[in-house]
Amino acid sequence: MNKRLSVRRTPITIFVDGDIFTKLSYLVWGLSNMVRGQIVKGAMYLALELAYIYYMITNGLTSLANMATLGTHEQGMAFDESLGIYVVQQGDNSMLMLLYGVVAVVITAMAIVVWMTSVYSGEDARQRKLAGRKVYGILDDVTSLFDTHIVRLFLSLPLLGILVFTVTPLIYMILMAFTNYDADHQPPGHLFTWVGLENFRAIMDASGKLGATFLPILGWTLVWAVAACFSCYFGGMFLAILINSKGIKLKKLWRTVFVLAMAVPSFISLLVISTMLGKNGIINVLLQNWGFTTEALPFLTNATWARGTIIIVNLWAGIPATMLMVSGILMNIPPELYESASIDGANPVQQFVKITFPYMLQVTTPYLITNFIGNINNFGVIYFLTGGGPSTLDYYKGAGKTDLLVTWLYKLTNDSNDYNLAATLGILIFIISAVFSMITYAQARISENEEALQ
Amino acid sequence: MNMKEIIGLRRRPQMIAAGIYIVALVSVFLPFASVGGTTVTGLSAALSLGGLHLAGLILVALTAVMGIFLLVKPSVKGARLWAAFGALETAAVTIELFATKMLIDPSGLLPGSFLVKNFGIGYWLLLITAFVGLYYAMAATKLSAGYIVLALMTVVWLFPILWIVLTSFRGESGYYVGYFIPKTFTLDNYLNLFKEDGPLPFARWWLNTFFVASISCVLNTLIVLITSFILSRQRFQGRTLLMKAMMVIGMFPGFMSMIAVYNILKGMGISQSLGALILVNVASSAMGYYICKGFMDTVPKAMDEAARIDGATNFTIFYKIMIPMAKPIVIYQLMSAFMGPWGDYIFPSLLLGDKQASYTVAIGLKWLTDQQRIETYYTQFAAGAVLVSVPIVILFSMLQRYYVEGMSGAVKG
Repeated sequence: MNKRLSVRRTPITIFVDGDIFTKLSYLVWGLSNMVRGQIVKGAMYLALELAYIYYMITNGLTSLANMATLGTHEQGMAFDESLGIYVVQQGDNSMLMLLYGVVAVVITAMAIVVWMTSVYSGEDARQRKLAGRKVYGILDDVTSLFDTHIVRLFLSLPLLGILVFTVTPLIYMILMAFTNYDADHQPPGHLFTWVGLENFRAIMDASGKLGATFLPILGWTLVWAVAACFSCYFGGMFLAILINSKGIKLKKLWRTVFVLAMAVPSFISLLVISTMLGKNGIINVLLQNWGFTTEALPFLTNATWARGTIIIVNLWAGIPATMLMVSGILMNIPPELYESASIDGANPVQQFVKITFPYMLQVTTPYLITNFIGNINNFGVIYFLTGGGPSTLDYYKGAGKTDLLVTWLYKLTNDSNDYNLAATLGILIFIISAVFSMITYAQARISENEEALQ
Repeated sequence: MNMKEIIGLRRRPQMIAAGIYIVALVSVFLPFASVGGTTVTGLSAALSLGGLHLAGLILVALTAVMGIFLLVKPSVKGARLWAAFGALETAAVTIELFATKMLIDPSGLLPGSFLVKNFGIGYWLLLITAFVGLYYAMAATKLSAGYIVLALMTVVWLFPILWIVLTSFRGESGYYVGYFIPKTFTLDNYLNLFKEDGPLPFARWWLNTFFVASISCVLNTLIVLITSFILSRQRFQGRTLLMKAMMVIGMFPGFMSMIAVYNILKGMGISQSLGALILVNVASSAMGYYICKGFMDTVPKAMDEAARIDGATNFTIFYKIMIPMAKPIVIYQLMSAFMGPWGDYIFPSLLLGDKQASYTVAIGLKWLTDQQRIETYYTQFAAGAVLVSVPIVILFSMLQRYYVEGMSGAVKG
């Protein structure tokens, strides 16, 4: 890197230091480039500016303005003077207005980025010209994409994808948490509007139906996440230690048996197990044939049973997954530790408690917390096994006793169309995940590690 | 008693095992089961039922006698055989737990129907002594007792797999059947899935899924690789900010924005198409850079610098040095990027709605287990499930090593 270039420049210092063309290029993007000989580049900036202005005049400004109101004309009958009769009047569509508004905001943000790039790029060209060095032409710029500017070549497409298909929808849904877009306010028939923090208040209010649903579901979500996380962790560790222990032969064969369970796509295994556990499923049939019980057990239909069943079934795929991960780490523990421990007379249990477990815990804490968050959002297990059921009248609309926050969120969008509540719930899930992640990253301190590894 | 040392034989556990097997023999004379006041001992049950119970009884007697014999005349070979009989005894007694009802009810030995809770002290003692005895007998011959646990776990883990494979070959249709092993075997369930005029366009579904999964897999891997390469190797303004931002965005539940994505796709006019599915699978793949970057961080920077001195551009470094060095993670990424769309259900079902021709296998199979269809299609569902799992299982067993390496990369972070 050139020393001079690393002097910190801001759009303000560039404006103050620059000549008239630099100053003008704040208005006419790319002017500074064009004046220094970068015609194509400058023209591209200008074209982008014109495109943005055109978009704003034709669409963008209205979209932004509409976003403030989310529509004023409700669909309905209006008197048409020229015809002298009532006709159906097309109302405003709040949902589209919000979406287009978000799109306008995102496009404006992108335009600001392009604008700033043009300013820096123009300044670069000016500096080079002043210093009497070569001003890069368009071909040089393209070549540099494969070397010095590879960041631009490689990152632009992935980031564009994230912007369009993750960030934009996310902003849209976050905003939705502050509206009343529920089952009673469905566009195009009805309008919805901004309601501030009302949804959060309703969900947290334990005396209302929503609060009476949210709090138990939150409780079960956390219980489930803790139970699933630790049962699989210890189960998997036990299995890995067992298979890795000295006396066991055919290690690869045993491992394959369990990997088989993991390799089966989870939707298949969950669907199959769910059909096996039904009232007429094979498990109930066999239990009756074997004389363990005289009537079908309510594996998935009684709230308490279903919760237990879910946690146990989750072990089926979860234990092999942990086992695979843990196997690698187990082999990294220095064998001398065990040798000296057994010379000192430590039995296997003591060796586990004093050597294996502390080592494991230290190495796998980040995994454990990621896994915990993954379980808070573990949609598949609940959806395919119980579908959230058994449902109950105590809960808000179709929510059931085994619903996690995330499956309830899905039901709110898909079944009852309470998008505002779903969005609010999403934000709350985010907050929970963020809190736990912060603990992880405080632990792992990735930024320090990454340099050390190279 | 002869207590001399024998190599390969531990005398203490051997004595304990022998003692336990004698207790087992005694428990044969205790109440085995009782219904409505009638009680039978293990001995009389075995004699009148024959078969499994008789075999169990013989094994119990055999292990007890052998135990005493081996105390007097210890030998490693004999002890191994003893442990093998112990294992058979354990298997027999365990199966009795499940099979006794089916054998004892028709025999008329007991008045009324038998339930597991009707087992008497004799049976439970047999069950416990069988397992504990086996444990000590194995310990005597220095065999790890871990095999007992592994064997039991294997049965549990393979049970659902075995069930669905057997069902897929079952000749009798229907969801509710009162037995585990089919009465007739057939290939029809598989053939019906592919019949030209069959009710299910399964071949179509399978090809759709394969198409979506393979294209998504390649594009996804490419994007993850270039993103990770940049984040691992280039230092630019806003890099840490970008990584933090992606982490924060990743913490929002994906389901939240599904509806919005759907609306955007509808706005683009491409909803209900497989292309849209691929687009969505691929668009945000950069968010999953984390594991891959962690791996690339471990590739020594000295290699880049050496190449740089030889005049290589960053692009050359990427595909001539980084990609070959990162082979395990490339394979890991290809695998997980293939398996993701292969088993994805929710988004495709939202996106494709009722357009059956575009269904992927996940939606199709879920659709088959619906209340109204499960009775008719259960065996075909089973066949479909097998066909969907087989490619993944093969892929997975072939590339297991890379998967483990990738996962441990995730832990190292």
